[in-house]
Amino acid sequence: MSEKRGIQTTDEGQPNEDFVLVQPGLFDYPLKEGEKPFLLAARCSKCNAVFFPARTRCRHCGANDVMEEVRLPGRGVVYASTVVHVDSPSGIKAPYAFGYVDVPAEGVRVFALFTGCDPALIRPGQEVELVIEPIRTSHEQKQVIGYKYKPVRERVSQ
Amino acid sequence: MRDVYITGVGMTVFGKHPDRSLRDLGGEACLAALRDAGVQPKEIEAGYCGNALGPVLQGETSVGQNVFWEVGINSVPIVNVENACATGSTALHQAWVSVASGLYDMVIVAGTEKVVMPKGTFLDVGAGELEVKLGEVFPGCFALIAQKHMELYGTTREQLAKVSVKNHMNGTLNPYAQFQKTFTVQEVLDSPMIADPLTLYSCCPNSDGAAALIVCSRKKAVKAKGKAVRILASVLATGIYENQRDFTSWEVEKRAAGKAYTMASLGPEDLDVVEVHDAFTISEILHYEGLGLCRPGEGGRLIDEGITALGGRIPVNPSGGLLSRGHPVGASGVAQVVEIVWQLRGEAGKRQVEKARVGLAQIMGGNKEGDTRACTVHIFSR
Repeated sequence: MSEKRGIQTTDEGQPNEDFVLVQPGLFDYPLKEGEKPFLLAARCSKCNAVFFPARTRCRHCGANDVMEEVRLPGRGVVYASTVVHVDSPSGIKAPYAFGYVDVPAEGVRVFALFTGCDPALIRPGQEVELVIEPIRTSHEQKQVIGYKYKPVRERVSQ
Repeated sequence: MRDVYITGVGMTVFGKHPDRSLRDLGGEACLAALRDAGVQPKEIEAGYCGNALGPVLQGETSVGQNVFWEVGINSVPIVNVENACATGSTALHQAWVSVASGLYDMVIVAGTEKVVMPKGTFLDVGAGELEVKLGEVFPGCFALIAQKHMELYGTTREQLAKVSVKNHMNGTLNPYAQFQKTFTVQEVLDSPMIADPLTLYSCCPNSDGAAALIVCSRKKAVKAKGKAVRILASVLATGIYENQRDFTSWEVEKRAAGKAYTMASLGPEDLDVVEVHDAFTISEILHYEGLGLCRPGEGGRLIDEGITALGGRIPVNPSGGLLSRGHPVGASGVAQVVEIVWQLRGEAGKRQVEKARVGLAQIMGGNKEGDTRACTVHIFSR
């Protein structure tokens, strides 16, 4: 696991950084210049099952330590979404949208926050793309970096 | 396996009990169950106590020993059980296993919980899960299910609201229910939006309360003078956590129900009264379908036609359900069984389902990968 994937593990973070990752190992951050964002998944080299978040044991066939790293393509399709009208206990301000995105290229469904438009405009079947950005502020007033999906073609806002 | 019976039931009023402890509430329910069964504490051979959130909310662990000690039950094996919303019903399942297997002849089951939170706060449970760290909230998970059900079957917001209207109506007939208030469809729809399409009155409240059961073998049940209700089936199952599963039904529920019907040698058409896990209005619609009370997609029609209302063909949640009776998490699965026992004995007062002979209780709990961690189905008869 590279340095930049593991530096910030919890909301406590490290005193000399101004951000923390929502969880280590989900994505690379910050990205290299010109690099497109991706999520880090794992593929079982025995049965080909793909998992996000990445894991070291295969829950389909039970194989251990045979997982290969897979970069999930940024594009996906909304499976379901809802708009939450109450602030989350973790500190996300309402209204915000979350749901699930199918990444057809790898046959994986990913839990996701949505961004980039009026939350109520996210619809099943809509094509979305990945962005890595702050999702909230931690108790230590640091930006918590997570991932979200935004519409590929932004709809006209109301 | 031996036949297993319930001969005593008891519960506290569900609601806000800020000045009472988990053991105090649990003790009240246990005492009521012991008295109902006409059993002395020293006759109890083991205890199974459900409590889901005591370690998180009250900083209290191994609650069962505290609860049972309140009513003079000590020295015997005590098991503490946690299985999310299915905590109390899992405690019953374990009790059933212990009596059915022949290990014990008489055991006690309790569920006790205090979940009332300051106004406007979400219960911050599962904070270690990635989805929760990202921003998932429980009502939102069920909102997603509602969205998919509406998308696939055309289920309407009004149909969802009618579940809340029905259960709150039933709750006004149950002196143990937290809410003693009816709502109109419009009032449910107009209450504050929590997670679209679920409004405040589409979600069950957080509650404090406890419930208890005396579970025993046939030779003990015959002494109970007509109070005994037989457990025809007790099934506990867990989810498959399939990554790309269909959100409009729970495979685990269909599987558990199918197993329970086989065990009881009957089908959904034989049921007279049902209690289901209506943590959210959409949940009850899915449970109609999962338990086979109707075909997939017809849940909305069932509520429209009043089939599941009191006086309908198959009344569901005559107690008021979680929506109106309240939801002290670890106690709800036990309280459902208390209601079914009262119904089958003809002791349910104004909400009595006429000639109820066979009842079913279903509850499920915990979210994992969008699936359910635990689901129980119990079937009972006179």
